[in-house]
Amino acid sequence: MTIVGRRAIVVAVVVLQLGFVARGYSSAHKEFAFQMFPESSTWRADVVRVTADGRRVPIEPSWSGYSWDALVRDRGLQDPALRHHADAGLANQLAFLQAALDWVAANTPRDRETRYLEARVTTWHDADAPRVRVMRSPAREVAR
Amino acid sequence: MTATAVRRARRGAIARFDELLGRPVSMRALALLRVFAGPIVLLHLRPFLDGTLHGRIYRDAFYEPYAAWYPELPRAVYIGLLWLAVASAVAMSIGLLTRVATAATLAIVAYNLFLSTTHFHNNRAYLLIVLALLAVAPCGRELSADAWLRRRRGLPPLDPSAPAWPLWLLRFECSAIYAASGMSKLLDPNWFGGTVSWQRTLESRPQLESWPIPHWAISVLTNRDFHTGAAKAIILTELFIAAGLWRRRTRYVAVWVAVAFHAGIQVSASVEIFSVLAVAVLVIWAVPSTRDRVLRFDVADARQRRLARVVRALDWLARFRVEPGARLEVVDRDGGSCGGGAAAVFALSRLPLTAWFALPLTLLYRRSAPSRRES
Repeated sequence: MTIVGRRAIVVAVVVLQLGFVARGYSSAHKEFAFQMFPESSTWRADVVRVTADGRRVPIEPSWSGYSWDALVRDRGLQDPALRHHADAGLANQLAFLQAALDWVAANTPRDRETRYLEARVTTWHDADAPRVRVMRSPAREVAR
Repeated sequence: MTATAVRRARRGAIARFDELLGRPVSMRALALLRVFAGPIVLLHLRPFLDGTLHGRIYRDAFYEPYAAWYPELPRAVYIGLLWLAVASAVAMSIGLLTRVATAATLAIVAYNLFLSTTHFHNNRAYLLIVLALLAVAPCGRELSADAWLRRRRGLPPLDPSAPAWPLWLLRFECSAIYAASGMSKLLDPNWFGGTVSWQRTLESRPQLESWPIPHWAISVLTNRDFHTGAAKAIILTELFIAAGLWRRRTRYVAVWVAVAFHAGIQVSASVEIFSVLAVAVLVIWAVPSTRDRVLRFDVADARQRRLARVVRALDWLARFRVEPGARLEVVDRDGGSCGGGAAAVFALSRLPLTAWFALPLTLLYRRSAPSRRES
Protein backbone atom coordinates (compact mmCIF):
# COMPACT_ATOMS: atom_id res chain seq x y z
CA MET A 1 0.00 0.00 0.00
CA THR A 2 1.25 3.46 -0.81
CA ILE A 3 2.09 5.98 1.89
CA VAL A 4 -0.72 8.24 0.73
CA GLY A 5 -3.15 5.29 0.66
CA ARG A 6 -2.56 4.26 4.25
CA ARG A 7 -2.59 7.87 5.39
CA ALA A 8 -5.97 8.30 3.72
CA ILE A 9 -7.37 5.10 5.27
CA VAL A 10 -6.25 6.00 8.79
CA VAL A 11 -7.61 9.55 8.56
CA ALA A 12 -10.87 8.31 7.03
CA VAL A 13 -11.42 5.70 9.76
CA VAL A 14 -10.67 8.19 12.55
CA VAL A 15 -12.97 10.84 11.04
CA LEU A 16 -15.72 8.26 10.40
CA GLN A 17 -15.52 6.92 13.93
CA LEU A 18 -15.70 10.39 15.45
CA GLY A 19 -18.59 11.17 13.10
CA PHE A 20 -20.48 8.06 14.26
CA VAL A 21 -19.90 9.01 17.90
CA ALA A 22 -21.28 12.51 17.26
CA ARG A 23 -24.23 11.09 15.26
CA GLY A 24 -25.10 8.85 18.20
CA TYR A 25 -26.46 11.88 20.08
CA SER A 26 -29.20 12.40 17.52
CA SER A 27 -29.89 9.04 15.85
CA ALA A 28 -32.25 6.38 17.12
CA HIS A 29 -30.08 3.35 16.45
CA LYS A 30 -26.68 4.90 17.28
CA GLU A 31 -24.60 2.58 15.08
CA PHE A 32 -20.89 2.63 16.04
CA ALA A 33 -21.61 5.35 18.63
CA PHE A 34 -20.90 3.01 21.55
CA GLN A 35 -23.27 4.56 24.07
CA MET A 36 -23.44 1.69 26.56
CA PHE A 37 -26.33 1.35 29.02
CA PRO A 38 -27.56 4.82 28.04
CA GLU A 39 -30.80 5.06 30.01
CA SER A 40 -32.84 3.43 32.74
CA SER A 41 -35.98 4.27 30.74
CA THR A 42 -38.85 1.79 30.58
CA TRP A 43 -41.86 1.39 28.36
CA ARG A 44 -45.01 -0.64 27.83
CA ALA A 45 -47.59 -0.65 25.07
CA ASP A 46 -51.14 -1.78 24.48
CA VAL A 47 -51.02 -2.96 20.91
CA VAL A 48 -54.32 -3.49 19.12
CA ARG A 49 -55.52 -4.37 15.65
CA VAL A 50 -58.01 -1.84 14.40
CA THR A 51 -60.35 -3.62 12.04
CA ALA A 52 -62.23 -2.26 9.04
CA ASP A 53 -65.43 -2.08 11.11
CA GLY A 54 -63.67 -0.09 13.86
CA ARG A 55 -63.14 -2.80 16.46
CA ARG A 56 -59.94 -2.59 18.52
CA VAL A 57 -58.67 -6.12 19.12
CA PRO A 58 -55.66 -6.70 21.41
CA ILE A 59 -52.80 -8.58 19.75
CA GLU A 60 -52.27 -10.90 22.74
CA PRO A 61 -54.54 -13.70 21.46
CA SER A 62 -53.34 -15.02 18.13
CA TRP A 63 -55.26 -14.02 15.02
CA SER A 64 -55.58 -15.56 11.54
CA GLY A 65 -52.86 -18.02 12.56
CA TYR A 66 -50.44 -15.28 13.65
CA SER A 67 -49.13 -14.41 17.07
CA TRP A 68 -47.29 -11.23 18.00
CA ASP A 69 -44.58 -13.07 19.90
CA ALA A 70 -43.84 -15.34 16.94
CA LEU A 71 -43.78 -12.41 14.52
CA VAL A 72 -41.70 -10.10 16.71
CA ARG A 73 -39.00 -12.03 18.51
CA ASP A 74 -36.20 -9.54 18.89
CA ARG A 75 -35.14 -6.28 20.55
CA GLY A 76 -37.29 -6.66 23.66
CA LEU A 77 -40.54 -6.27 21.73
CA GLN A 78 -42.17 -9.47 22.93
CA ASP A 79 -45.00 -9.11 25.46
CA PRO A 80 -45.34 -5.35 24.86
CA ALA A 81 -48.06 -5.03 27.50
CA LEU A 82 -45.44 -5.77 30.18
CA ARG A 83 -43.21 -2.92 31.30
CA HIS A 84 -39.72 -3.40 29.83
CA HIS A 85 -36.39 -1.68 30.12
CA ALA A 86 -35.44 0.19 26.92
CA ASP A 87 -32.00 -1.46 26.57
CA ALA A 88 -30.54 0.97 24.07
CA GLY A 89 -32.62 3.99 25.02
CA LEU A 90 -36.20 5.06 24.41
CA ALA A 91 -35.63 6.56 20.98
CA ASN A 92 -34.13 3.27 19.86
CA GLN A 93 -36.93 1.22 21.41
CA LEU A 94 -39.71 3.34 19.91
CA ALA A 95 -38.06 3.25 16.48
CA PHE A 96 -38.03 -0.54 16.67
CA LEU A 97 -41.64 -0.65 17.89
CA GLN A 98 -42.77 1.53 14.98
CA ALA A 99 -40.83 -0.62 12.52
CA ALA A 100 -42.34 -3.76 14.07
CA LEU A 101 -45.89 -2.41 13.69
CA ASP A 102 -45.14 -1.62 10.05
CA TRP A 103 -43.61 -5.04 9.43
CA VAL A 104 -46.46 -6.97 11.04
CA ALA A 105 -49.01 -4.96 9.08
CA ALA A 106 -47.18 -5.74 5.85
CA ASN A 107 -46.42 -9.40 6.51
CA THR A 108 -49.70 -10.93 7.69
CA PRO A 109 -51.46 -11.67 4.39
CA ARG A 110 -53.94 -14.18 5.92
CA ASP A 111 -55.32 -11.42 8.13
CA ARG A 112 -58.12 -9.95 6.03
CA GLU A 113 -59.80 -7.81 8.69
CA THR A 114 -57.13 -5.60 10.24
CA ARG A 115 -57.01 -2.08 8.85
CA TYR A 116 -53.95 -1.02 10.85
CA LEU A 117 -52.09 -1.77 14.05
CA GLU A 118 -52.00 0.77 16.81
CA ALA A 119 -49.83 0.96 19.91
CA ARG A 120 -50.70 3.15 22.86
CA VAL A 121 -47.24 3.47 24.38
CA THR A 122 -46.43 4.64 27.88
CA THR A 123 -42.79 5.62 28.37
CA TRP A 124 -40.85 6.48 31.50
CA HIS A 125 -37.68 8.34 30.50
CA ASP A 126 -35.27 7.72 33.40
CA ALA A 127 -36.95 9.34 36.42
CA ASP A 128 -39.27 11.61 34.42
CA ALA A 129 -43.05 11.44 34.61
CA PRO A 130 -44.68 8.94 32.26
CA ARG A 131 -45.61 10.03 28.77
CA VAL A 132 -48.20 8.46 26.52
CA ARG A 133 -48.04 8.44 22.75
CA VAL A 134 -49.86 6.60 19.99
CA MET A 135 -48.10 4.86 17.11
CA ARG A 136 -49.77 3.38 14.07
CA SER A 137 -48.77 1.17 11.19
CA PRO A 138 -49.68 2.28 7.66
CA ALA A 139 -53.23 1.40 6.68
CA ARG A 140 -53.64 -1.96 4.97
CA GLU A 141 -55.93 -3.01 2.14
CA VAL A 142 -58.61 -5.21 3.68
CA ALA A 143 -61.48 -7.27 2.27
CA ARG A 144 -64.89 -5.64 2.69
CA MET B 1 5.56 32.79 11.37
CA THR B 2 6.07 33.02 7.63
CA ALA B 3 4.11 30.99 5.10
CA THR B 4 7.28 29.03 4.27
CA ALA B 5 7.78 28.10 7.93
CA VAL B 6 4.15 27.00 8.19
CA ARG B 7 4.53 24.84 5.08
CA ARG B 8 7.76 23.33 6.45
CA ALA B 9 6.13 22.59 9.82
CA ARG B 10 3.14 20.98 8.08
CA ARG B 11 5.43 18.85 5.92
CA GLY B 12 7.36 17.83 9.03
CA ALA B 13 4.18 16.82 10.84
CA ILE B 14 2.96 14.80 7.85
CA ALA B 15 6.35 13.09 7.55
CA ARG B 16 6.27 12.14 11.25
CA PHE B 17 2.70 10.87 10.84
CA ASP B 18 3.71 8.77 7.82
CA GLU B 19 6.72 7.39 9.72
CA LEU B 20 4.43 6.41 12.62
CA LEU B 21 2.00 4.61 10.30
CA GLY B 22 4.72 2.87 8.30
CA ARG B 23 7.02 1.97 11.19
CA PRO B 24 7.64 -1.81 11.12
CA VAL B 25 6.40 -3.37 14.36
CA SER B 26 5.70 -6.89 15.53
CA MET B 27 2.28 -8.23 14.50
CA ARG B 28 2.40 -10.76 17.35
CA ALA B 29 -0.39 -9.10 19.35
CA LEU B 30 -2.66 -9.03 16.31
CA ALA B 31 -1.79 -12.68 15.58
CA LEU B 32 -2.82 -13.58 19.13
CA LEU B 33 -5.99 -11.53 18.83
CA ARG B 34 -6.75 -13.36 15.56
CA VAL B 35 -6.49 -16.67 17.43
CA PHE B 36 -8.96 -15.40 20.07
CA ALA B 37 -11.25 -13.84 17.47
CA GLY B 38 -12.22 -17.19 15.91
CA PRO B 39 -14.05 -18.58 18.98
CA ILE B 40 -15.55 -15.13 19.60
CA VAL B 41 -17.02 -15.13 16.09
CA LEU B 42 -18.50 -18.56 16.79
CA LEU B 43 -20.12 -17.22 19.97
CA HIS B 44 -21.45 -14.28 17.96
CA LEU B 45 -22.90 -16.58 15.28
CA ARG B 46 -24.47 -18.98 17.78
CA PRO B 47 -27.93 -17.37 18.03
CA PHE B 48 -28.17 -17.16 14.23
CA LEU B 49 -27.08 -20.79 13.85
CA ASP B 50 -29.47 -21.91 16.60
CA GLY B 51 -32.25 -20.28 14.62
CA THR B 52 -31.31 -22.12 11.43
CA LEU B 53 -31.23 -25.44 13.31
CA HIS B 54 -34.81 -24.74 14.37
CA GLY B 55 -35.77 -23.88 10.79
CA ARG B 56 -35.80 -20.11 11.33
CA ILE B 57 -33.84 -17.30 9.74
CA TYR B 58 -33.99 -13.56 10.34
CA ARG B 59 -36.74 -12.82 7.82
CA ASP B 60 -39.22 -15.28 9.33
CA ALA B 61 -39.95 -12.65 11.98
CA PHE B 62 -39.73 -8.88 12.28
CA TYR B 63 -36.61 -7.40 10.73
CA GLU B 64 -35.83 -4.03 9.22
CA PRO B 65 -33.39 -3.75 6.29
CA TYR B 66 -31.06 -0.77 6.33
CA ALA B 67 -31.65 -0.23 2.64
CA ALA B 68 -34.14 -1.60 0.14
CA TRP B 69 -31.34 -2.37 -2.32
CA TYR B 70 -29.38 -4.51 0.13
CA PRO B 71 -29.18 -8.00 -1.40
CA GLU B 72 -31.01 -10.78 0.39
CA LEU B 73 -30.03 -14.32 -0.43
CA PRO B 74 -32.19 -17.39 -0.96
CA ARG B 75 -32.77 -19.18 2.36
CA ALA B 76 -30.45 -22.12 1.64
CA VAL B 77 -27.64 -19.85 0.46
CA TYR B 78 -27.98 -17.66 3.56
CA ILE B 79 -27.81 -20.68 5.86
CA GLY B 80 -24.84 -22.01 3.89
CA LEU B 81 -23.13 -18.66 4.27
CA LEU B 82 -23.51 -18.76 8.06
CA TRP B 83 -21.91 -22.20 8.16
CA LEU B 84 -19.18 -21.00 5.82
CA ALA B 85 -18.51 -18.27 8.40
CA VAL B 86 -18.08 -20.98 11.02
CA ALA B 87 -15.49 -22.72 8.83
CA SER B 88 -13.70 -19.48 7.99
CA ALA B 89 -13.64 -18.38 11.66
CA VAL B 90 -12.02 -21.69 12.60
CA ALA B 91 -9.52 -21.32 9.73
CA MET B 92 -8.82 -17.73 10.79
CA SER B 93 -8.20 -18.81 14.36
CA ILE B 94 -5.79 -21.62 13.49
CA GLY B 95 -4.20 -19.50 10.78
CA LEU B 96 -4.98 -21.63 7.76
CA LEU B 97 -5.08 -19.51 4.59
CA THR B 98 -5.21 -16.71 7.12
CA ARG B 99 -5.75 -13.71 4.84
CA VAL B 100 -8.55 -15.38 2.88
CA ALA B 101 -10.17 -16.87 6.00
CA THR B 102 -10.12 -13.54 7.87
CA ALA B 103 -11.50 -11.65 4.88
CA ALA B 104 -14.26 -14.24 4.41
CA THR B 105 -15.18 -14.10 8.11
CA LEU B 106 -15.30 -10.32 7.98
CA ALA B 107 -17.40 -10.31 4.81
CA ILE B 108 -20.01 -12.74 6.14
CA VAL B 109 -20.24 -11.19 9.61
CA ALA B 110 -20.60 -7.74 8.01
CA TYR B 111 -23.20 -8.95 5.50
CA ASN B 112 -25.25 -10.56 8.25
CA LEU B 113 -24.99 -7.53 10.52
CA PHE B 114 -26.24 -5.10 7.91
CA LEU B 115 -29.18 -7.30 6.90
CA SER B 116 -31.33 -5.73 9.58
CA THR B 117 -31.24 -2.89 12.08
CA THR B 118 -32.34 -5.48 14.63
CA HIS B 119 -29.01 -7.32 14.21
CA PHE B 120 -27.01 -4.33 15.36
CA HIS B 121 -25.55 -4.21 18.86
CA ASN B 122 -22.47 -2.45 20.17
CA ASN B 123 -20.64 -5.72 20.76
CA ARG B 124 -21.23 -6.77 17.15
CA ALA B 125 -20.04 -3.41 15.86
CA TYR B 126 -16.85 -3.82 17.87
CA LEU B 127 -16.38 -7.35 16.47
CA LEU B 128 -16.74 -5.98 12.96
CA ILE B 129 -14.06 -3.35 13.59
CA VAL B 130 -11.69 -5.95 15.03
CA LEU B 131 -12.22 -8.30 12.08
CA ALA B 132 -11.71 -5.48 9.57
CA LEU B 133 -8.38 -4.53 11.09
CA LEU B 134 -7.26 -8.16 11.38
CA ALA B 135 -8.15 -8.58 7.70
CA VAL B 136 -5.86 -5.76 6.60
CA ALA B 137 -2.98 -6.69 8.92
CA PRO B 138 -0.54 -9.46 7.93
CA CYS B 139 -1.21 -11.29 11.19
CA GLY B 140 -0.93 -14.85 9.88
CA ARG B 141 2.84 -15.04 9.77
CA GLU B 142 3.09 -16.52 13.27
CA LEU B 143 0.84 -18.53 15.58
CA SER B 144 -0.61 -20.03 12.42
CA ALA B 145 -0.92 -23.23 10.44
CA ASP B 146 0.35 -21.20 7.47
CA ALA B 147 3.66 -20.57 9.28
CA TRP B 148 3.87 -24.22 10.34
CA LEU B 149 3.24 -25.44 6.79
CA ARG B 150 5.90 -23.05 5.53
CA ARG B 151 8.40 -24.47 8.00
CA ARG B 152 7.50 -28.02 6.95
CA ARG B 153 8.16 -27.12 3.33
CA GLY B 154 11.59 -25.84 4.36
CA LEU B 155 10.79 -22.26 3.38
CA PRO B 156 12.19 -19.38 5.43
CA PRO B 157 9.68 -17.75 7.79
CA LEU B 158 8.03 -14.54 6.64
CA ASP B 159 8.94 -11.33 8.43
CA PRO B 160 6.56 -11.16 11.43
CA SER B 161 6.78 -7.38 11.52
CA ALA B 162 4.78 -5.04 9.29
CA PRO B 163 3.75 -1.38 9.06
CA ALA B 164 2.10 -0.41 12.32
CA TRP B 165 -1.00 1.41 11.05
CA PRO B 166 -3.56 -1.41 11.59
CA LEU B 167 -2.34 -1.78 15.17
CA TRP B 168 -2.53 1.97 15.82
CA LEU B 169 -6.02 2.08 14.30
CA LEU B 170 -7.22 -0.76 16.48
CA ARG B 171 -5.74 0.98 19.52
CA PHE B 172 -7.64 4.11 18.50
CA GLU B 173 -10.90 2.18 18.14
CA CYS B 174 -10.41 0.38 21.45
CA SER B 175 -9.79 3.66 23.25
CA ALA B 176 -12.58 5.47 21.37
CA ILE B 177 -15.13 2.91 22.55
CA TYR B 178 -14.38 3.54 26.23
CA ALA B 179 -14.19 7.29 25.60
CA ALA B 180 -17.50 7.39 23.71
CA SER B 181 -19.25 5.38 26.38
CA GLY B 182 -17.82 7.43 29.25
CA MET B 183 -18.44 10.74 27.50
CA SER B 184 -22.08 9.91 26.72
CA LYS B 185 -22.64 9.25 30.43
CA LEU B 186 -20.70 12.34 31.47
CA LEU B 187 -22.88 14.54 29.25
CA ASP B 188 -26.15 13.02 30.49
CA PRO B 189 -27.23 14.68 33.77
CA ASN B 190 -29.32 11.63 34.70
CA TRP B 191 -26.30 9.36 34.32
CA PHE B 192 -23.85 11.71 36.01
CA GLY B 193 -26.24 12.27 38.92
CA GLY B 194 -26.72 8.55 39.51
CA THR B 195 -30.38 8.26 38.48
CA VAL B 196 -29.76 5.81 35.65
CA SER B 197 -27.58 3.33 37.56
CA TRP B 198 -29.82 3.58 40.64
CA GLN B 199 -33.00 2.86 38.70
CA ARG B 200 -31.39 -0.01 36.81
CA THR B 201 -30.25 -1.53 40.09
CA LEU B 202 -33.74 -1.15 41.54
CA GLU B 203 -35.20 -2.88 38.48
CA SER B 204 -32.68 -5.70 38.97
CA ARG B 205 -33.36 -6.04 42.69
CA PRO B 206 -35.20 -9.41 42.36
CA GLN B 207 -32.18 -10.76 40.47
CA LEU B 208 -29.78 -9.32 43.07
CA GLU B 209 -31.73 -10.97 45.85
CA SER B 210 -31.41 -14.34 44.15
CA TRP B 211 -27.60 -14.06 44.32
CA PRO B 212 -25.55 -15.03 47.39
CA ILE B 213 -25.13 -11.39 48.45
CA PRO B 214 -25.62 -10.26 52.07
CA HIS B 215 -28.62 -8.06 52.79
CA TRP B 216 -26.52 -5.10 53.86
CA ALA B 217 -24.77 -5.16 50.46
CA ILE B 218 -28.11 -5.13 48.64
CA SER B 219 -29.18 -2.18 50.82
CA VAL B 220 -26.04 -0.31 49.85
CA LEU B 221 -26.39 -1.15 46.15
CA THR B 222 -29.99 0.03 46.04
CA ASN B 223 -29.33 3.20 48.05
CA ARG B 224 -29.84 6.39 46.03
CA ASP B 225 -26.90 8.19 47.69
CA PHE B 226 -24.54 5.34 46.85
CA HIS B 227 -25.27 5.84 43.14
CA THR B 228 -24.54 9.56 43.32
CA GLY B 229 -20.92 8.52 43.85
CA ALA B 230 -20.96 5.20 41.99
CA ALA B 231 -22.11 6.77 38.72
CA LYS B 232 -19.16 9.16 38.77
CA ALA B 233 -16.82 6.27 39.55
CA ILE B 234 -18.16 4.33 36.54
CA ILE B 235 -17.73 7.32 34.24
CA LEU B 236 -14.26 8.01 35.59
CA THR B 237 -13.33 4.34 35.11
CA GLU B 238 -14.34 4.38 31.43
CA LEU B 239 -12.56 7.65 30.75
CA PHE B 240 -9.49 6.50 32.68
CA ILE B 241 -9.29 3.31 30.60
CA ALA B 242 -9.66 5.33 27.39
CA ALA B 243 -6.85 7.70 28.31
CA GLY B 244 -4.75 5.44 30.54
CA LEU B 245 -4.13 2.85 27.82
CA TRP B 246 -2.19 5.42 25.80
CA ARG B 247 0.30 6.38 28.51
CA ARG B 248 3.22 4.09 29.33
CA ARG B 249 3.02 4.84 33.05
CA THR B 250 -0.71 4.09 33.36
CA ARG B 251 -1.13 1.34 30.78
CA TYR B 252 -0.81 -1.65 33.10
CA VAL B 253 -3.22 -0.09 35.61
CA ALA B 254 -5.66 0.71 32.79
CA VAL B 255 -5.51 -2.88 31.49
CA TRP B 256 -6.02 -4.25 35.01
CA VAL B 257 -8.97 -1.92 35.64
CA ALA B 258 -10.46 -2.76 32.22
CA VAL B 259 -10.40 -6.51 32.94
CA ALA B 260 -12.05 -5.98 36.33
CA PHE B 261 -14.57 -3.59 34.76
CA HIS B 262 -15.55 -6.12 32.08
CA ALA B 263 -15.78 -8.94 34.63
CA GLY B 264 -18.19 -6.75 36.61
CA ILE B 265 -20.27 -6.02 33.52
CA GLN B 266 -20.34 -9.67 32.53
CA VAL B 267 -21.83 -10.80 35.85
CA SER B 268 -24.31 -7.92 36.10
CA ALA B 269 -25.59 -7.46 32.54
CA SER B 270 -26.31 -9.35 29.35
CA VAL B 271 -23.81 -8.04 26.81
CA GLU B 272 -23.39 -11.01 24.44
CA ILE B 273 -19.70 -11.20 23.38
CA PHE B 274 -18.74 -7.71 24.50
CA SER B 275 -16.80 -8.64 27.65
CA VAL B 276 -14.79 -11.43 26.13
CA LEU B 277 -14.02 -9.42 23.00
CA ALA B 278 -13.02 -6.29 24.92
CA VAL B 279 -10.70 -8.28 27.20
CA ALA B 280 -9.17 -10.11 24.22
CA VAL B 281 -8.51 -6.82 22.42
CA LEU B 282 -6.44 -5.58 25.38
CA VAL B 283 -3.50 -7.68 24.09
CA ILE B 284 -2.90 -5.04 21.42
CA TRP B 285 -1.57 -2.68 24.10
CA ALA B 286 1.51 -4.86 24.58
CA VAL B 287 4.67 -3.19 23.29
CA PRO B 288 4.91 -4.38 19.66
CA SER B 289 8.33 -5.98 19.88
CA THR B 290 9.19 -9.56 20.74
CA ARG B 291 11.82 -11.56 22.64
CA ASP B 292 13.41 -8.38 23.96
CA ARG B 293 13.35 -9.53 27.59
CA VAL B 294 15.35 -12.40 29.02
CA LEU B 295 14.32 -14.82 31.76
CA ARG B 296 17.31 -16.77 33.10
CA PHE B 297 16.81 -19.70 35.42
CA ASP B 298 18.93 -22.22 37.26
CA VAL B 299 18.33 -25.64 35.64
CA ALA B 300 19.27 -27.34 38.90
CA ASP B 301 16.36 -25.72 40.75
CA ALA B 302 13.03 -27.53 40.25
CA ARG B 303 10.91 -24.45 41.05
CA GLN B 304 12.83 -22.32 38.59
CA ARG B 305 12.51 -25.01 35.92
CA ARG B 306 8.75 -25.05 36.55
CA LEU B 307 8.56 -21.27 36.23
CA ALA B 308 10.55 -21.44 32.98
CA ARG B 309 8.11 -24.02 31.62
CA VAL B 310 5.14 -21.85 32.60
CA VAL B 311 6.67 -18.78 30.95
CA ARG B 312 7.50 -20.73 27.77
CA ALA B 313 3.95 -22.12 27.62
CA LEU B 314 2.06 -18.92 28.41
CA ASP B 315 4.26 -16.32 26.75
CA TRP B 316 1.80 -15.93 23.87
CA LEU B 317 3.02 -12.43 23.13
CA ALA B 318 6.62 -13.68 22.79
CA ARG B 319 8.00 -11.21 25.28
CA PHE B 320 10.77 -13.38 26.79
CA ARG B 321 13.79 -15.36 25.72
CA VAL B 322 14.02 -18.10 28.30
CA GLU B 323 17.63 -19.21 28.88
CA PRO B 324 19.56 -21.25 31.43
CA GLY B 325 21.62 -19.13 33.82
CA ALA B 326 23.25 -19.03 37.23
CA ARG B 327 20.11 -17.81 39.06
CA LEU B 328 16.55 -16.72 38.50
CA GLU B 329 16.78 -13.35 36.79
CA VAL B 330 14.82 -11.16 34.42
CA VAL B 331 16.60 -8.68 32.18
CA ASP B 332 14.22 -6.03 30.88
CA ARG B 333 14.44 -4.49 27.43
CA ASP B 334 16.34 -1.47 28.77
CA GLY B 335 18.98 -3.69 30.38
CA GLY B 336 17.66 -3.33 33.95
CA SER B 337 17.47 -6.60 35.82
CA CYS B 338 16.02 -8.17 38.94
CA GLY B 339 16.18 -11.58 40.55
CA GLY B 340 14.41 -13.96 42.89
CA GLY B 341 10.73 -13.41 43.70
CA ALA B 342 10.71 -10.07 41.92
CA ALA B 343 11.83 -11.77 38.70
CA ALA B 344 9.12 -14.43 38.97
CA VAL B 345 6.38 -11.88 39.63
CA PHE B 346 7.66 -9.61 36.87
CA ALA B 347 7.64 -12.49 34.35
CA LEU B 348 4.14 -13.60 35.34
CA SER B 349 2.89 -10.01 35.17
CA ARG B 350 3.84 -9.90 31.47
CA LEU B 351 1.96 -13.04 30.41
CA PRO B 352 -1.62 -12.52 29.15
CA LEU B 353 -3.14 -15.27 31.28
CA THR B 354 -1.43 -14.45 34.59
CA ALA B 355 -0.96 -10.68 34.26
CA TRP B 356 -4.18 -9.71 36.01
CA PHE B 357 -3.25 -11.69 39.12
CA ALA B 358 0.46 -10.88 39.10
CA LEU B 359 0.30 -7.14 38.36
CA PRO B 360 -0.84 -6.19 41.90
CA LEU B 361 2.03 -8.28 43.30
CA THR B 362 4.54 -6.20 41.36
CA LEU B 363 3.73 -3.40 43.81
CA LEU B 364 5.28 -5.51 46.57
CA TYR B 365 8.49 -5.78 44.55
CA ARG B 366 8.44 -2.25 43.23
CA ARG B 367 11.87 -1.37 44.54
CA SER B 368 13.54 -4.47 43.15
CA ALA B 369 11.72 -4.50 39.78
CA PRO B 370 13.83 -3.85 36.69
CA SER B 371 13.75 -0.29 35.49
CA ARG B 372 11.32 0.00 32.59
CA ARG B 373 11.30 2.04 29.46
CA GLU B 374 8.48 1.10 27.11
CA SER B 375 7.04 2.62 24.00
